[in-house]
Amino acid sequence: MMKPADIKKIGMDGLLRNNPTFRLVLGTCPTLALTTAAMNGIGMGLAVTFVLIFSNVIISALRKVIPNEVRIPAFVLIIATFVTLLRMLLDKFIPSLYESMGVYLPLIVVNCIILGRAESFASKNPVLNSAFDGLFTGLGFTWALTFMGVIREVLGAGQIFGYTLWDFRIEFFSSSAGAFFVYGLCVALFNLIYTKVESHFHRVGFAKKYMTAPEAAQEEAK
Amino acid sequence: MDAIQISGTPHMRKKRTTRGIMIDVLIALVPATAAGLVFFGLRALVTIAISVAASVATEWVWLLCKRKSFKEIWAQFDFSSCVTGLLLALTLPAFEYKYFYIPLLSAVFAVGVAKMLFGGTGKNIVNPAIAGRVFAFISFQSNMVSGWMTPRFAALGNTVQTSATPLTSMLGEGLGKIGIGNLDLFLGTGVTGCIGETCKVALLVGFAYLLVRRVVKWQWPVIYVAVTGLVSCAMGKSMGYFLPSILSGGLLLGAIFMATDYVTSPNNKWACYLYYLVLGVITALLRFGTKIEVVSFAILLMNLVVPLFNMYVRPRPFGAKPVVQVCKDKLDSIKQKARQKKAAKEGEAQ
Repeated sequence: MMKPADIKKIGMDGLLRNNPTFRLVLGTCPTLALTTAAMNGIGMGLAVTFVLIFSNVIISALRKVIPNEVRIPAFVLIIATFVTLLRMLLDKFIPSLYESMGVYLPLIVVNCIILGRAESFASKNPVLNSAFDGLFTGLGFTWALTFMGVIREVLGAGQIFGYTLWDFRIEFFSSSAGAFFVYGLCVALFNLIYTKVESHFHRVGFAKKYMTAPEAAQEEAK
Repeated sequence: MDAIQISGTPHMRKKRTTRGIMIDVLIALVPATAAGLVFFGLRALVTIAISVAASVATEWVWLLCKRKSFKEIWAQFDFSSCVTGLLLALTLPAFEYKYFYIPLLSAVFAVGVAKMLFGGTGKNIVNPAIAGRVFAFISFQSNMVSGWMTPRFAALGNTVQTSATPLTSMLGEGLGKIGIGNLDLFLGTGVTGCIGETCKVALLVGFAYLLVRRVVKWQWPVIYVAVTGLVSCAMGKSMGYFLPSILSGGLLLGAIFMATDYVTSPNNKWACYLYYLVLGVITALLRFGTKIEVVSFAILLMNLVVPLFNMYVRPRPFGAKPVVQVCKDKLDSIKQKARQKKAAKEGEAQ
């Protein structure tokens, strides 16, 4: 059975500690191509989340059936099934999103995040854990893409989620060079904040465990 | 920290410092700046002032963020950000006052991203001024391509007043539509364009000063400009393209002041010959391919591959055989082997 601590750990992993975009630098192709607008980022992120949850569940359920030698083709087959389903669903119900994602929708099949989670998590863990892992990794991808999308949309097009803010636009941020630039800066910024926070928590946790109360307070004050 | 002062490479004990060279470049840019001010008036002055101030401010703010004191910053200040700001402004059109943010943002990008993010003076991969201009070009394309200000002095000959620069009309519609004589192009009278690039005389005066002070070698700009002119002739299938393609656009400004930047050009003679040759070819080809002024893009592109030139074109170490000698030796040994084989065969036959 799953414990709440497990869910918390998986959630922290997917959203922050092993954030696919900012920490693992996986799935960069849609990240660079689709973050011209925040809405595209959300759409892509949720599409990946959908595929990720279902492929993780199926792969996890079949993990004792799939022979080790042919596991990659088997994973890709399962992922491709869900991508095809997703394409049909989007084409029927949200045609505008289907249009704007274009070729990047079928390319989810070869997205490293999904294959990576299947290989490193779903093929070794029970079904429920894998489902949560898919959900949180997907959400981590979604928030990262949305964050970059907001920056690039505000600076490059003067809009946010499609609403025009002002008439001032720096087209550099809409171009692909700007995508690389923003991506690099975001990764640097995220890792800077992350390491600062982590070292702080590490110090505090260490203090609580091994030091007397006044010493710990002193350490925390630092 | 006071006892040891860290300066940029090379660590030679000479009176020549980075600061001295940068001041020389600034002096060499004075004629071009003056010509720009004469032609474009107060607008040019505002653009230049904003760009230089923003460049220096960006560098100082960056260093302050790295917890350096004012004293340290001043001790290390080598005027290279002034040069960057001035060069950047000279490659921009004289903007209307309401577009003040274009030189501002470009200068911040040039110094902040192209220089300081890579580690400061001497560590940048691309020329900061070029990066700033390309940023402005990509970001504010509508302001950079059209809407040129007409310069104050009319042309000597008959001119067709258009919103395009002579270069773009020449590339777009052919040699006959350039609408302006070579002498006008040389003097900059009646030429629409960026602040610093119109008056070629002023640029050449600056070049002469740099040569006298031995800041640049005469070969490099000459190779670059000549190759660009010749390849333009080949592309246009007429020798008439030679002078207009040299004298229009930002070619001279880029060749004299930007392509010869120490940091972003190869570090030995033969690599430099090859570098400026390829630069000239790329500039001419891209000009005819895209029909816009691409000197900045060509230099940016070539700056990125400078490490390759440094890696593959190596100077001959002292005492090593010259390349020609090595080839001769190799050839001789091959010949000798062939002779031996032949002799052995003949011996067998006998």
